[in-house]
Amino acid sequence: MDFNFTQDENDFRQEIKDWLSENLSQRISNKVKKFQRLDKNDYEEFMKALSAQGWLAVNWPKKHGGTGWSNTQKHIFEEEIVKAGAPRIVPFGLNMLGPVLMEFGNEEQKKYYLPRILNCDDWWAQGYSEPGSGSDLASLKSKAVDHGDHYIVNGQKTWTTLGQFANKIFCLVKTDTDTKPQNGISFLLIDIDTPGIEVRPIITLDGEHEVNEVWLKDVKVPKENLLGEENKGWTYAKYLLTHERTGIAGVPNSKSAINHLKVIANKTYKNGKPLIQDPLFSSQIAELEIDLKAMEIFNLRAISSAESGKAPVMESSLLKIKGSIIRQKTSDLLRKAIGPQALPYISEQFDEGWNQKTIGPEYAGPLAKQYFIYRKISIYGGSNEIQKNIVAKSEFRM
Amino acid sequence: MHFNLSEERKMLKESCDRLLNDHYTQFKNHHEVSSSETGFNKKFWEECSEIGMLSALISPNFNGLGGTGEDIMIVFELIGKHLVVEPFLSSGILSITSLTHSKDIETSVLDEISSASKIYAFGHSEVDTRYDETYIKTKANYKNDAVFLTGQKSFVLNGDFADKIICTARFSGNDFDQNGFGLYEIDKSHCDIRSYNTIDGYRAAELKFSEIPAKELSKNSDAYNALLETLYAGAFALSAESIGAMQVCFNMTLEYLKTREQFGKRIGSFQALQHRMVDIMIEIEQAKSAVMLAAGTYEEDKNTKYKNISAAKNLVGRTGKLVAEECIQLHGGIAMTWEYNLHNYAKRLVMIDHLMGDSDHHLEQFKIYSNY
Repeated sequence: MDFNFTQDENDFRQEIKDWLSENLSQRISNKVKKFQRLDKNDYEEFMKALSAQGWLAVNWPKKHGGTGWSNTQKHIFEEEIVKAGAPRIVPFGLNMLGPVLMEFGNEEQKKYYLPRILNCDDWWAQGYSEPGSGSDLASLKSKAVDHGDHYIVNGQKTWTTLGQFANKIFCLVKTDTDTKPQNGISFLLIDIDTPGIEVRPIITLDGEHEVNEVWLKDVKVPKENLLGEENKGWTYAKYLLTHERTGIAGVPNSKSAINHLKVIANKTYKNGKPLIQDPLFSSQIAELEIDLKAMEIFNLRAISSAESGKAPVMESSLLKIKGSIIRQKTSDLLRKAIGPQALPYISEQFDEGWNQKTIGPEYAGPLAKQYFIYRKISIYGGSNEIQKNIVAKSEFRM
Repeated sequence: MHFNLSEERKMLKESCDRLLNDHYTQFKNHHEVSSSETGFNKKFWEECSEIGMLSALISPNFNGLGGTGEDIMIVFELIGKHLVVEPFLSSGILSITSLTHSKDIETSVLDEISSASKIYAFGHSEVDTRYDETYIKTKANYKNDAVFLTGQKSFVLNGDFADKIICTARFSGNDFDQNGFGLYEIDKSHCDIRSYNTIDGYRAAELKFSEIPAKELSKNSDAYNALLETLYAGAFALSAESIGAMQVCFNMTLEYLKTREQFGKRIGSFQALQHRMVDIMIEIEQAKSAVMLAAGTYEEDKNTKYKNISAAKNLVGRTGKLVAEECIQLHGGIAMTWEYNLHNYAKRLVMIDHLMGDSDHHLEQFKIYSNY
């Protein structure tokens, strides 16, 4: 056993840090740290800077313009960008579509789409979930009917994250309804400007617009936009799930959230003493900190076993579950820490440039809102219950 | 960074595992061994010594072959896996640590332990002192060049069959002072002994003594440091032991879910039960990770070492209880019987939280070492 990073890895970390301090603009990191709304340009500014440096496609092999980094390097990179307050790297093109294209796309598609993802020319959206198909994804109803050189697509997609910024969407659609649901699905690459497509906002419980509905009515999609073979889409969709997902536990995010919690618990007073000295409250923080430290090691164990070539499929599911619980618990304690200061909801506080006085301390504003929206973490990306089904099926062999 | 064992340690682990497995499968459960006259099997203890299981707990500075966090973790995980009643904790890690932190200790004393020729026990707790580190009421009385002890030590593991007892006693100050106490060695033959089995099937004793001769091992700040090192070494070893026992509970339960049928199907096919198994699985991996971290930082500065051991002991306390309770529940009625071996593991998991500081105690310690 050796818990230390190598000298090369430490140098690598320093290189990332140095680069971030020069290339991540203060304007953006301030917005991220204050939980303000990011617009399309904020995301793209950072992603284009990474792209110019050759660090955007963290998970891609070198031959496609990726970094070719080891899992440990990816982990270090993720830690540093979260610490620096960078916006998240929008994953739909880079981490979801990219690997599927490389594995199953034809040469023309690879040549056309991959560089466009890399240069931030395209903003991809994910068209998987439907109103009637959440956890049971294969039951999806959107349909593509063969019209010779093109399909006509009808249906509705939902939970399309940041779809309001997208110009492309990859969709799972039914191309054969007479067979087992999993066998009749195809994977289509669609231009959002195509007539018949409408993107409508869904406002989430925190009052924000991040996700969307996408309506498809008689949308004409050329056959060359079919990825891989017709009716094999389920295989491609599943490929994503088995693809390495080292960041799934969200360790860096939880770490910075717990640090934030401790700072706030030092600034907040109860009976004349900092809240961090209250045995009841501090015990809850301490338990969480112990859980997180354990998970950090668990995550590193998974990364290190992936490094030796074992795909950490089971570990990914376990880490996703535990990671979501820890993140939710942290946001729960953040909300509790500030007491009644959690009540005011001033939506304008989250717009760039808002400079009025907050009611409580500035840090209080987003905490309650965040607590509510973070309930999504155990729901999206395969709910925790689905993850448990996956583990039970693969590990227990009942 | 890697989390693998070296080839040498892998071999140690395999040979120990084989020995323990061969021995313990002869018995229906470990109560048969602990209920014998000595409370453990003297001959088997010697065999453990011969393959180096005791030397593995001792640093080369004292003529041992190990003594690192990783060595202790390997040995104690196996002890948990097989519910070993031999005195690895008492004559092993606790006595070894307190002796190696004593003044002018001779290597030959450690040799006697590692060769199994002498059995030591460690007595710190008194009947009502709970997990307090420095609450010591036993008195040490210095007369001329000699020292004599009067008092009572409780829950002394293997105290009835040890040759020597290492214990704490106070010669000045208040009950809770960090100064004014020492570690002493006393002879079992001078003690009034009440021996009993513990709820989880191990052997312990109450020792009473009055003005008996003692040998000073350390005092004042040296004694305090030696005591902390000893209690933390014990807490760490127990944490590793817990991991071994948890894994067995999990495997037994999984096996049971695959064989037991109700409503015409294997009960493992029910989603409610599967999900509870995954919950346990996650927590076991978490606890294992915390113990690995404590092992990997066992040689670092005291603050880091104690912080990570307290984190591990806290987590293992919480998880051990969860695993014990859930595995009993998932089994159902069969787990309530003496006949079915699960209760022995469940009891050990829960009782580990009653030794060397429970999860609340170690949460408090974790906060102190993390500067809350």
